[in-house]
Amino acid sequence: MQTPRGWPESVAGLVAAATESGRIAAIRDALKAIRALPQAQQGRLFRLGICRTFTVETRLDALTLGLATLPCRPEIIVGDLESIEQLLLDDRSAMLQAAPDALLVLWRLEELHSRLAFEHDAMNAEERERAATEVINRIESLCTQYVKVAAAPLFLSTLPRQSASSAGMNDVYSPHAPRHAILRINQTLLELAARNSQIHVFDFSGWAENAGALAFDLKMDLYARQPISSRLLMSFATALADSLRPLLVSPAKVLVLDLDNVLWGGVLGEDGVAGLKIGHDFPGNVYRRIQLHALALKRRGVLLALLSKNNFADVEQAFSTLPDMPLKLGDFAALRVNWREKDENLLDIAQELDLGPDSFVFVDDQSFERERMRFRLPEVRVLEASEDPLQTLHVLTQCRAFDTYRTSSEDKRRSSDYAAQAARRKLESNSQDPQAFLFTLQLQARIAEVEDATIPRAVQMLGKTNQFNVTTRRHTEADVRRMRAIRANILLLLSLSDRFGDQGIVGLAIALGDSASGKLTLDSFLLSCRAIGRGAEQALWSSLLARASAMGYTELHAEYLRTSKNQQVENLFERLGMARRESSTGEHRQYTLELPSHHPQPAWIDSIGEGVGTSGA
Amino acid sequence: MVRSEEQLFRVFADVLNVEIASVTEALSPETFPNWDSLATVNLVAELEQAFGVQFDILEIVAFDNVGIVKSILMEKGVVF
Repeated sequence: MQTPRGWPESVAGLVAAATESGRIAAIRDALKAIRALPQAQQGRLFRLGICRTFTVETRLDALTLGLATLPCRPEIIVGDLESIEQLLLDDRSAMLQAAPDALLVLWRLEELHSRLAFEHDAMNAEERERAATEVINRIESLCTQYVKVAAAPLFLSTLPRQSASSAGMNDVYSPHAPRHAILRINQTLLELAARNSQIHVFDFSGWAENAGALAFDLKMDLYARQPISSRLLMSFATALADSLRPLLVSPAKVLVLDLDNVLWGGVLGEDGVAGLKIGHDFPGNVYRRIQLHALALKRRGVLLALLSKNNFADVEQAFSTLPDMPLKLGDFAALRVNWREKDENLLDIAQELDLGPDSFVFVDDQSFERERMRFRLPEVRVLEASEDPLQTLHVLTQCRAFDTYRTSSEDKRRSSDYAAQAARRKLESNSQDPQAFLFTLQLQARIAEVEDATIPRAVQMLGKTNQFNVTTRRHTEADVRRMRAIRANILLLLSLSDRFGDQGIVGLAIALGDSASGKLTLDSFLLSCRAIGRGAEQALWSSLLARASAMGYTELHAEYLRTSKNQQVENLFERLGMARRESSTGEHRQYTLELPSHHPQPAWIDSIGEGVGTSGA
Repeated sequence: MVRSEEQLFRVFADVLNVEIASVTEALSPETFPNWDSLATVNLVAELEQAFGVQFDILEIVAFDNVGIVKSILMEKGVVF
């Protein structure tokens, strides 16, 4: 299990020992050491509610340790056995009353439909079909009703293959073996999660397959209905923590790759292009796999960057002449092929891409380079790659830093966005008058209410945006759902496109209203980095004022909360025409504006979309 | 390999979350309410790992006090 960057080695050692042995005393010692860390290092309070059809409560310490390393301060609440609907669908249940940050359902076919699990061969095809449909209907209706009563994300586990199944030949060939029903049910779970952003899947069955025959312990299953084997509890806890990680930790955005002995075998400067190993034969095929994995990450929206101490002309020649190179130079959003130190190059790239060093994952076969990067830029996630390419491939495929629940279309577009950004910069440097430059972009803004489908993007921006963000409030998906459910509130998204391409959703405004007093309070107002400098905030502001005025509000309140990164918006509200309250200080400034009011749309932006100037739904 | 009684008592202390000094051969689920069936699940896992043995179900249901557990371990060849 990985421990967070910044935790002392002594604590990391205790966590490693506990993960290795799974022993009660070792886990207790590790938890004790973590709880003694400063609260900032422990992370935020995270309450997980577990509903289940079998026993997990004997070893909550293992699950707690798994979650603590995310990091967070976990609190686990376990509901009564089998009362899943009672706990999840009644907003007065002890489970929902505890206001968990996430809910997890652990179940097995053995309890969901014991006849289908153990006596399937006594049923005819129609009965089996009906039994599986019953289970599926139950799960579907659980989801439909749950999202109406609760806002926390719900994680449904896939059903593992039966722990007690004989798995003999009979089971393999039999058309009525429970595995067919299990596959169908698991497929349904995945479809439910794809349809609803509040529903997620915890791949319990995937964990069980990886863990193999030792995943379950029939003796303890029958003695105390505790199927998960004690020896593998820490492995289970790690899998569970991995699937909750994106709720707590912002995913990394850039994979920084070294070249020699990472993307090909050999050293270009010594072996020459002809001496490099890359292709379909060992060991070139290992490097090829590394390249293919990097490309797969790129398709998911991860940016690739190349950091290599080499002569650029040699590198260009190698990329253009080597056959069987899946990666092309054009796949990299940023390149630094020179003789500068890698941490300086990385900072340079961070600035170019408008990202912090904590968005970077660094891969290098040289331990000197890894250590230097850790020392100079501790925020960068450094993988334990090595000169053995199989080890590098392993750490890369095991790296969970890029994990997200869904890849939004904005993510997939990111790589081409950065190419377009470079083209815009070029145009900007050619043109003298900044206003004239903006007119040449042919900007189009589109304002729309936050909808079910766009909630994840709104939450993503709330979580990641640092610079153009007046309050930096990191609302969760559940928070946004709650705010959106109140009709007096206004939640607007801004999408932007120009002649170089569509940038998707890049801005968000949240204003919380009180219809009784006529007072509207701006909770969040932000623009993603790639949309800054085009006056798009004025388009969003203009729509917000139009809507607030139409809804009958009489005053708008806003505040600026200073962080180390958001100084560029410290005078934003003045620029937008608000009056500053004299008593408010530089760290925390407060503003008011009388409504109805109007702010002109910038002349260089063509504003379109349902919603401009109309009242809220 | 000769095992000390302390190793055995340490497992009970860890699982029941008590000081090792309060563990005796007479300690039983009757005298110690923390020792419920869920604690027995943990005892089995910890003892199997610590002493390299496997208990069968009949042995587990006979876990009536520390002394009995010790004698079951001795039957399995553990020397104290």
